[in-house]
Amino acid sequence: MNHLDPQRHVRGESQYLDDVPTQQGTLFAAVFESPLAHGVLVNLDLSAALAAPGVVRILTADDIPGDNQIGGIVPDEPLLAHGHVHFRGQPVALVLARHEHQAHAALKLIKVDIEPLPIITDPRVAAAQGELIVPPRTFKIGDSAATWASCAHVFEGVAESGGQEHLYIETQGAYAFPTEMGGVRIISSTQGPTAVQRHTAHVLGLGMHQVEVDVTRLGGGFGGKEDQATPWGALAALGAYCTKKPVKLVLDRMADMRMTGKRHPYSSDFKIGLDKDLRIVAYEVTFFQNAGAAADLSPAVMERTLFHATNSYFVPNVTATAFSCRTNLPPNTAFRGFGGPQGMFVIESAIAKAAEELGIPACEIQRKNLLRENDLFSYRQPAEMCHAEQAWDTAAKEFDLAGTRAEVEQFNQQNKLQKKGLAVMPICFGISFTKTPMNQARALVHIYSDGSVGVSTGAVEMGQGVNTKIAHVAARTLGISVNRVKVESTNTTRVANTSPSAASATADLNGKATEMACAALRERLLRHACTEYTLNYEGLEIRDEQVLAAGVPAETDWEKLVSSAFWKRVALTENAHYATPDLHFDAATNQGHPFAYHVYGTAITTVTVDCLRGTYTVDALRIAHDFGQSFNEVIDRGQIEGGAVQGIGWMTMEEIAYNAEGRLLSNSLNSYKIPDIYAAPKVLDVHFLDTPGHPKAILRSKAVGEPPLMYGIGTYFALRDAVRAFQPRTALPFSAPMTPEKVLVSLYPEFSAAETGWNATAVGTPASIAS
Amino acid sequence: MSQFTQPTLERPPMALAPTQAVSLNINGKAHTLQIAPWTTLLDALREYLDLTGTKKGCDHGQCGACTVLVDGKRINSCLSLAVMQEGSEIQTIEGLGSEDNLSPLQQAFIDHDAFQCGYCTPGQICSAQGLLNEGRATTEAEVRELMSGNLCRCGAYSNILSAVMEVLGNKGAEAAGSQATPKKESKEGARQWAAGAASQSVPPVEPAK
Ligand code: FES
Ligand code: FES
Repeated sequence: MNHLDPQRHVRGESQYLDDVPTQQGTLFAAVFESPLAHGVLVNLDLSAALAAPGVVRILTADDIPGDNQIGGIVPDEPLLAHGHVHFRGQPVALVLARHEHQAHAALKLIKVDIEPLPIITDPRVAAAQGELIVPPRTFKIGDSAATWASCAHVFEGVAESGGQEHLYIETQGAYAFPTEMGGVRIISSTQGPTAVQRHTAHVLGLGMHQVEVDVTRLGGGFGGKEDQATPWGALAALGAYCTKKPVKLVLDRMADMRMTGKRHPYSSDFKIGLDKDLRIVAYEVTFFQNAGAAADLSPAVMERTLFHATNSYFVPNVTATAFSCRTNLPPNTAFRGFGGPQGMFVIESAIAKAAEELGIPACEIQRKNLLRENDLFSYRQPAEMCHAEQAWDTAAKEFDLAGTRAEVEQFNQQNKLQKKGLAVMPICFGISFTKTPMNQARALVHIYSDGSVGVSTGAVEMGQGVNTKIAHVAARTLGISVNRVKVESTNTTRVANTSPSAASATADLNGKATEMACAALRERLLRHACTEYTLNYEGLEIRDEQVLAAGVPAETDWEKLVSSAFWKRVALTENAHYATPDLHFDAATNQGHPFAYHVYGTAITTVTVDCLRGTYTVDALRIAHDFGQSFNEVIDRGQIEGGAVQGIGWMTMEEIAYNAEGRLLSNSLNSYKIPDIYAAPKVLDVHFLDTPGHPKAILRSKAVGEPPLMYGIGTYFALRDAVRAFQPRTALPFSAPMTPEKVLVSLYPEFSAAETGWNATAVGTPASIAS
Repeated sequence: MSQFTQPTLERPPMALAPTQAVSLNINGKAHTLQIAPWTTLLDALREYLDLTGTKKGCDHGQCGACTVLVDGKRINSCLSLAVMQEGSEIQTIEGLGSEDNLSPLQQAFIDHDAFQCGYCTPGQICSAQGLLNEGRATTEAEVRELMSGNLCRCGAYSNILSAVMEVLGNKGAEAAGSQATPKKESKEGARQWAAGAASQSVPPVEPAK
């Protein structure tokens, strides 16, 4: 079961932010955004808007009582623009009105004078001009430069991957209420309640204890609400603080798409060297990350790109460098995979390039170079409990790789205008926040005197099923029915200083804390039982709500035990803190042991391309995945399927386009396509690998949120394979997404020799499509 | 939560917008609203009737989250004005099945775990109900085609498909006059299940070793 309370979901009773009943006197907020991507803010004329019906107040940077700053890693992001604007869609003013439509109507009456400054949208241009968010980083092992001469084969190339809209179906928003102590309470649709709390306190000049953030559930997050829920929470809070009225701010879909950042587009240079046995001996890569106008999480995303630059391959000599480039686009941010997929796409491109040049299937190189036990990653952590080869070989056997390949070849011989393609995509993903201090969590567990249990943690439920997992951990540890357990909303006053629900680590961290709290309570109750009922503590346990002494039912059960413990004044509340052990990483040397463990898997993708139209279908996606000892196969399977579909979207149909002025062209679901039920793979098989799991994973059930997204990369390479079957010698740049338009152009290069723009860099270049 | 969830005592004044009385029949109940004529059906449901089960995902007819049934036909309620639906029977997710008698689709969505975050779910279910009413789809391919207007960013598509196919299959079987397939018992007794309830309808979980 995925949900603690599925009835509410199917009856439409689950409350999301926008469903919270409106409190009397609520003001509705709308954000006035910069119409230019870069410039000096000369004048802001609010007079007409202020006179508009229903408008109560308009707030600007000058109304901020504290510090106008919400940058998390680098303090480079004002809440409301002041002096300069740095991207189109940057919040400049907040209109507060009696009704939502009045607030939106007033936006059109605001006049702004901006002196334009040059606009950069291309990360390589930004890097050339020294526009970097943070200094570049290099991960290095061995000596790649010294190895090239001894390589049998060396290939170089460029790989581009595009951005991706999060497109959570619930848009961003927050609802803030003034509290009587002069603070604010915010109901926020955020993955990071503490981030909203900290930045709001900073903006309002308050202590964090004056700001309460509460989250019930999200209608999707995918990373888009990790740091980028903060502006809306802080703006609503600013409104509530300044007017002493509740303020609700919900972005409409197009505003959300215009104003929020996306997955980072990357443009990368690679060089790969193989020996005569096709072993990868050297790999050099330079990543140019398009960070947008402010740091947001970009430095951390960039770091994870470097961690995953070699995917699940062992390469003895690696030099990987990354530049986080400042451009005049909305700050790009976390998205499932967090830079990992972008890194993996490049090495897969490098391998594909080598295979194509050598005239062999890519999987020959892939299989030969998979990680083995104790192989070192470039950051010096060894691959422990490594299942890379097992995943590959199991997938090949379970899903008959050889037979599938033969089928594809046969089909391609028999069909002229339809071609099939095949690709194998192994993955390896490190679990933990790469910033070690973030790997901590707390749980607060109450046992009520009637035997029911309330659990609070820092985990945010956004569809990934974390609340269900936590409830099961609590029930299992206490030996009671999960029916007795309620997982409370995520609230900063109950559990403080939380890490965001991100990095696939939420269930591990918060689950472990819950397990610790429940174990402490169980021990306390059993100690009590042993004195109360004169039992021997050894062999005492609670199972199926019954107290067992050496396996024999004692004269007490859960309810009686709890009740008697209460009357004997035994503490029935526990607060536990978990910090993942043995993690360390030195960001100066780029070495250490940043991950609790790695997750492995392999996907086999087959596609069919219609060679007249360039359209295609994903026929099958077959995955062998290392779940460890999954304790909720339904949730875990759902995460694999959903993640893979999102990855396929990123690699195929989801194309973000900005023009040279930094205006988002793909600004609604009309011009930005995400997978629908028709686009989802026809066959989606998930095989649970037989692996022992990892002791640092909750109940040895490995983290499952992000890794499956990268299976989608296989679709890109399967499409290339199909295109090659039709057009063997066409020059195919490594440029994702592989939209049907791009496929068509690749199928008929002779008709598209004139610059079409499809092969240009992923972002910002097709200036000709400008408004 | 209590201090923030009290129901609205009074609607915010609508300022200059002229309003008119609009009578709507929703889930078998008649309502008369005083609203601006340009109010969408979606906003009328959510903001004036507190029927927040119908979700707003895009407000532009592009995502399907706002799907409701009007005289049994599915529509995007964000693309329809409330005034246009006077005299029609409007059915929303709140009116499909009841608390202790879920509609077959609602039950199938639970049984097949056809959602993750749940935000698209009311729209998916109403759309699937419309699909059943239309009686046009019989195969998986047709269901895919005719449900492609309902986006699910969590990607629960394969389970959505199997949930719809199950109900479609049962319905087909009934229509063919054959014995109605006995209703599949929910895998984990999800039907009786409620978070925080102390009932013992679900067996206790394995204890830790
Ligand atoms: S809200 Fe109506 S279709 Fe998206
Ligand atoms: S379940 Fe999240 S959008 Fe469908």
